[in-house]
Amino acid sequence: MSARNRELLGLIPASLLVTAGFAAVFIERGSLSQNELSDLSLTYGLIFLGLCLGAHIFLRIALPYADPYLFPLVAVLACFGLVMIYRIDDTLARQQAQWFVVGLLLFAATIVFLRDYRKLEQYRYVIAAASLALLCLPRLPVIGAQVNGAYLGIRIPGVMVFQPTEFAKLGIVIFLASYLRDTRQVLVVGARRVLGVTLPPLKHFAPLLLVWGMAMLLLIVIRDLGSSLMFFGAFLALLYVATNRFSFVFIGLLLFGIGAWYLGTHVSHVTDRVDVWLDPLNPARYGNEGYQIANSLFAQADGGLLGRGFGGALLETPNGFPLLPARETDLIYALIVNELGLVGAAALLIVYLMFVERGFKTALLARDSFSTLLAVGLAAVFALQVFVIVGGVTNVIPLTGVTLPFVSYGGSSILANFVLLALLLLVSDKARRPA
Amino acid sequence: MNLEPVSVALKLGFLVVLYLFLLWVVRSALKDLRRAQPSADAAYVEEAPPADATAMHSAADDMLGDHVGGGEPRLVVEHAAGHPDGIAYDLSSGATLGRGNVEIRLEDPFASSQHARIERQGGVLVLEDLGSTNGTFLNEEQLRGIQPLHHGDRIRIGDSEFSYLQD
Repeated sequence: MSARNRELLGLIPASLLVTAGFAAVFIERGSLSQNELSDLSLTYGLIFLGLCLGAHIFLRIALPYADPYLFPLVAVLACFGLVMIYRIDDTLARQQAQWFVVGLLLFAATIVFLRDYRKLEQYRYVIAAASLALLCLPRLPVIGAQVNGAYLGIRIPGVMVFQPTEFAKLGIVIFLASYLRDTRQVLVVGARRVLGVTLPPLKHFAPLLLVWGMAMLLLIVIRDLGSSLMFFGAFLALLYVATNRFSFVFIGLLLFGIGAWYLGTHVSHVTDRVDVWLDPLNPARYGNEGYQIANSLFAQADGGLLGRGFGGALLETPNGFPLLPARETDLIYALIVNELGLVGAAALLIVYLMFVERGFKTALLARDSFSTLLAVGLAAVFALQVFVIVGGVTNVIPLTGVTLPFVSYGGSSILANFVLLALLLLVSDKARRPA
Repeated sequence: MNLEPVSVALKLGFLVVLYLFLLWVVRSALKDLRRAQPSADAAYVEEAPPADATAMHSAADDMLGDHVGGGEPRLVVEHAAGHPDGIAYDLSSGATLGRGNVEIRLEDPFASSQHARIERQGGVLVLEDLGSTNGTFLNEEQLRGIQPLHHGDRIRIGDSEFSYLQD
């Protein structure tokens, strides 16, 4: 079976899932007669299938050899997101669906205009500077927006709160991949051993340290721990793949430890998060800063093995007070566990795992180092983003607000992740094209 | 009408379809892993070339490669980690390239321990990939089987590039 036929086959379960999900939400609301029910959910399923088919036909023409599993996996993630957000609020779901359409257009545009993605290498310093500038923007007056102590968004009146970190992550990965492609050999060859630890030559390592330092500084400025973990993790993953030297990763982890310790003890809103993380169910905090994480844990426990079913989770107290704050963005994972149980949540995580596996597979197949490093970087940053938010919601690490890719409500997240998908497919098409 | 059984059935149906889909994707990943196994082993097991290879090429080497004749065959480093650019290695008795304990050592993470071999067959020098994981490229084309070398050929392994000269 050819790659594209496989992809087509993979889209069928995705649309079945949308149909089943919407039907279940309608039933739970109990407001519709049976005919309406089957018609409406079938319509949603068909529209979803139509959009996916459109994108599929585009891929058939533009990237015939690209990995067949990446797109269906994303379609399944999108289906989780749409059904869950629809279950929370119709209007949000409609907006989310619009963002998906815009996202697919941006996806197509990326593939058309970046056919030769290796020309990105020529603009690496521009891309790096633009990404750092993007990270700065939310701190500017008027357009900047502060949410829960972190400066994460830019207000574009009437349209959205734009989250620059989502796009900055792509830019930084592209820069690191292209810079490491050139210098990875010198980093290894010029390395000296000091006190039993292999140190890279400063001349070639300094630019990397500089970009990392700037990103860290900016993150202290915008006060977001989750994104810094994401950026730094991707940096270390790329460094390791590029040089095959574990000592570099070790030094990096040490530096990160120092940075995290500083943030955790000196920046008040991070200190709060760390305290809540260490003792999430403390009754003294339940009323204020511990409310979100404690209720997230309760909701997940309430899901049990198979969950409450779509629409079955309790979202508000009888007097209309929200039980799960930020349930359509940060805490959507807790809601999914509540409604689909451990089994459904594990499936969602496997979907992410398989997406990342396809990314690494693409990196292995790639024939030049820039492509390899780019695919590794994109897969790593994607995996770390899932880790940061799922880890936060399940109280493995302190909770910080990043989105669950393709599932959480939010325009910038969907757009940026569609660009990420487009880049991975471009690398994959080039790698799998028969010589 | 009571719709609760339908609702439960839909939830279970959702999970079943989801897991079937995942099974399908995971199966492909497993297939990849199994396929990768033999080639990874091959990279470390150096085998003698197939018995017919020598015969086939020595019979036709007039058309296949440049005769070494009185020339001095050598491999010139274009750029390769651990080797100064422009340095030349004498090839008159052949050489093996790789990351392991071989004549021309590559500090390239894309190179296998015994990556490729250049040896004299009849009057010409031939290049052979020793079952490397990432392949050997002769003039930017992936090497298949044994290929004779011509003056000016470019050999690339991972990010290390060499050119072959014999004058």
